Amino acid sequence: MSFSRRNFLIATSVAAAGSTVLSACSSGDSGGGGSRSTGATEYTGAKVTIGTASDSTGPAPEIPGAKTGGTIYGLAPDDFSHLDPQRIYFAYNSTVALLLHRCLTGYKIDASGKQKLVGDLATDTGKASADNKTWTFTLKEGLKWEDGSELTVDDVRHGFERAWAPFVTEGADYAQRALTGKGGKWRDAYEGPYKGKHLDSIVTDKAKRTITFKLAESKPDFNFTLAMHSYAAVPVKMDTKEKYDKKPVACGPYKIKAHTTDKSMVLIRNKNWDPKTDSIRNAYPDGFEFTFGVETLDGVDRLISSQGNDAYGVSIYKGVPAERIQKVLTDPDLKKRSFNGLLTGTYFYWINTKRVTDLKVRQALIHAWPLQQIRQIYGGPSAGDFATSVLSPDIIGYEKTDPYNKSKKPQGDPEAAKKLLKEAGKLGQKVVYAFPQDPTYNKTKVVIENALKAAGFTPVIKPVDSTSYYDQVQQIDNSYDVMWGGWSPDWPTAYTMIQPLLDGDAIGNGKNNVSQTDVDWINEGIKKNAVIPDQMKAGKAWAALDKRIMEEVAPLIPETYQRRFYVYGNKVGGAQFDPNFSATLLYKTFVKA
Amino acid sequence: MFRFLVRRILGAAVILLIISALVFVLFYAAPRDPARIACGKVCTPETLALVRKNLAISDPLPVQYWEWLKGLFVGRDYSSFGHCDAPCLGFSFQSREPVLNTILDRFPTTISLSIGSAVVFLIFGVGTGMLAAVKQGKPLDKVASSASLIASSMQIYVVGVFATYLLVDQLHLLDRASYTPFTENPGKWFSGLLVPWLVLSLIFTANYTRMTRSQMVESLTQDYVRTARAKGLSRRTVFFRFAWRGAMGPIITIFGLDLGVLLGGAIITESTFSLQGLGMLSVKAVGTNDLPMLLGVVMVAAGAIVVFNIIVDAVYALIDPRVRLA
Repeated sequence: MSFSRRNFLIATSVAAAGSTVLSACSSGDSGGGGSRSTGATEYTGAKVTIGTASDSTGPAPEIPGAKTGGTIYGLAPDDFSHLDPQRIYFAYNSTVALLLHRCLTGYKIDASGKQKLVGDLATDTGKASADNKTWTFTLKEGLKWEDGSELTVDDVRHGFERAWAPFVTEGADYAQRALTGKGGKWRDAYEGPYKGKHLDSIVTDKAKRTITFKLAESKPDFNFTLAMHSYAAVPVKMDTKEKYDKKPVACGPYKIKAHTTDKSMVLIRNKNWDPKTDSIRNAYPDGFEFTFGVETLDGVDRLISSQGNDAYGVSIYKGVPAERIQKVLTDPDLKKRSFNGLLTGTYFYWINTKRVTDLKVRQALIHAWPLQQIRQIYGGPSAGDFATSVLSPDIIGYEKTDPYNKSKKPQGDPEAAKKLLKEAGKLGQKVVYAFPQDPTYNKTKVVIENALKAAGFTPVIKPVDSTSYYDQVQQIDNSYDVMWGGWSPDWPTAYTMIQPLLDGDAIGNGKNNVSQTDVDWINEGIKKNAVIPDQMKAGKAWAALDKRIMEEVAPLIPETYQRRFYVYGNKVGGAQFDPNFSATLLYKTFVKA
Repeated sequence: MFRFLVRRILGAAVILLIISALVFVLFYAAPRDPARIACGKVCTPETLALVRKNLAISDPLPVQYWEWLKGLFVGRDYSSFGHCDAPCLGFSFQSREPVLNTILDRFPTTISLSIGSAVVFLIFGVGTGMLAAVKQGKPLDKVASSASLIASSMQIYVVGVFATYLLVDQLHLLDRASYTPFTENPGKWFSGLLVPWLVLSLIFTANYTRMTRSQMVESLTQDYVRTARAKGLSRRTVFFRFAWRGAMGPIITIFGLDLGVLLGGAIITESTFSLQGLGMLSVKAVGTNDLPMLLGVVMVAAGAIVVFNIIVDAVYALIDPRVRLA
């Protein structure tokens, strides 16, 4: 399986929507940030497990003190770019999709942020064949669309088949690849559902309410893939094709009452949603009113002052900008009205192993890298935690491994780096560092350059146009030694990080193994771990591989697991961080009396 | 007058045509690819080709421009969006809605903001300027001149944030900036726009005060003013009937241009107060490489400036008998 340029696309798409992931945490360099005593760094990422059929049975556990009724007011700079579930991939669209759409599986999140994969439309997380090529799900009883009509297995299948429609170009394509076995050419295998033909690889049984996926390759974590909104159900009879993006039909707890693009959206209760069928969503408010076009700083100031409806307000997906972080961390009232969490994924620097061939030089680079100074530019400790390996803390099986002692010496260890360079006979080695031109990275390049010089390297700094940055670093014959980058997984299994970043098969122009790591034992380890059926056991195997990769290959310099803070109005209850979409978990909010 | 109007309108059409062609060329000169942005996270070459087709940008540039121009007069059919009635400005790459509908939806916000603040800054600016001219050299003149100098050096993004903090968040004197259609609730329309009007006016008032003062001072020294006074006309009559009319010419010219620019979108004011007008729309269109939307907003903005120039020229003739339209 090949993966998309996930992180780049997060950066560019969110940039298109008004800001970058990093700029939210790093637009100011006034230093400071939070301190460890703020507790900002205690959260270590979501712990994900797989739930049982009983975990999948609704209703969702009550939130203590929560009350039904009222309206929650959401603020955001930009409208959701897509509402048609098959066209939803970006995280900020999923924040509203959680209220409207449902998939076969989903994540049940507790108050501490721990998650269980459970059946959402399905009774459980699915039954796989021994080879993990056939997956069968049974639908819950009592599932209905907003007009009261029954939600059937055909509607679930339709959600997959619609991905072939020519107007659907924005969704994920993992399932399409797995169902056809044709890799990136999956569109050639099927013409879409609108001419009456169905995919041979999906079999439904209406009477038994079952849907079976026959995959071309073994996928033990296919039930995680299905939790993506790109695979939500769509009613066959109410599919309006291109127009569905403007007015989708809801099966979640809310439906759209009114929507003026880029200005506002009003959601009201979907009376045909039965809480007994839903173990994930609480849905206490009678409705939500979203206002778009509210600039991030203006929005945060409104929530801080909590006047009028802003007292019932939340920021849907934009975190507190650097200008207000100190205020939030130091004002006890505001601190109580805030929550934070780590973004999924890891930020790092690829080392081009075809150019920097000596392991000792790569290890010296890791020792030399000034993580603390870089994080200070991002906003200090409140901006995130130091990363020490490829995997991020929200990955199943993640175990912290720190072979280069970066937690203790985050400012860089020039002596250790010099020692390694001397041993390798490479003191003074030239290192070409490439980064996307951006106000933040223009600042971090300075501390990186200084640290490299102090460690005995001869740095050459190459700023690259940010809009074509990934296109350039993803050329295998590029002339860079170290390149800024990052990766967010689409679901929390290690395969989704290690395979695209480090599998020899993922080397090529436009592919994500930018370090061009092609090591037999890594390639074999990926193949072996990918087919371990039990994801918890697989997690342990991946963690061991992660550790060995860092120790014996050192193909990248881990940088940070980035953190985002949110504030909410003083009459909002239940607000917490959504560990999957790094946003406000809207369906758990309620209006305080 | 008729010949004047026909000539100027034809000229305006040519100007707009040139501007639209320039925007088209400049847009494609930028390194960002709108198809790549719209393509989403999984962007295979096949998907990219599909997106180009869906957005109607797979044809060569001259063909695209011709189709856009044709759409203005005869409408246009899109494979992924459906039919777009004439005058068709296309569909937004981002919102996938007809550009004209979005512009018509945002225009009332911009008109309300512009006209409202124009009323405030004209009354206060011209009024204070006239007072300062009458009281030339006296304390009132000095205070008005200094205050306008300070006000004209202010920035909206500073004054706006400060005014909101002080007048809305702390003193609770005024409502937070928002836009409610006049037809829906005139009271809310007024109270929601009061802070932006005042802030936007502050900067403009200062300019108009200074300009009116200097024009009036100059007018009052003209021979015809002195002659009128010598012939026994009252100071009041001379001031309003002769000097004021003479001084208004340049102020009307600048006002026409200012209003035209404001109608094209008060970008900073709208961003500061999170008002969804044409200014915000244009910023977003630039940020997201949304050519149809950008082109639509540019056309409206350029149209407003061109139209107000024509109006200004016509008004000139009405207010100043020395000017005749040819």
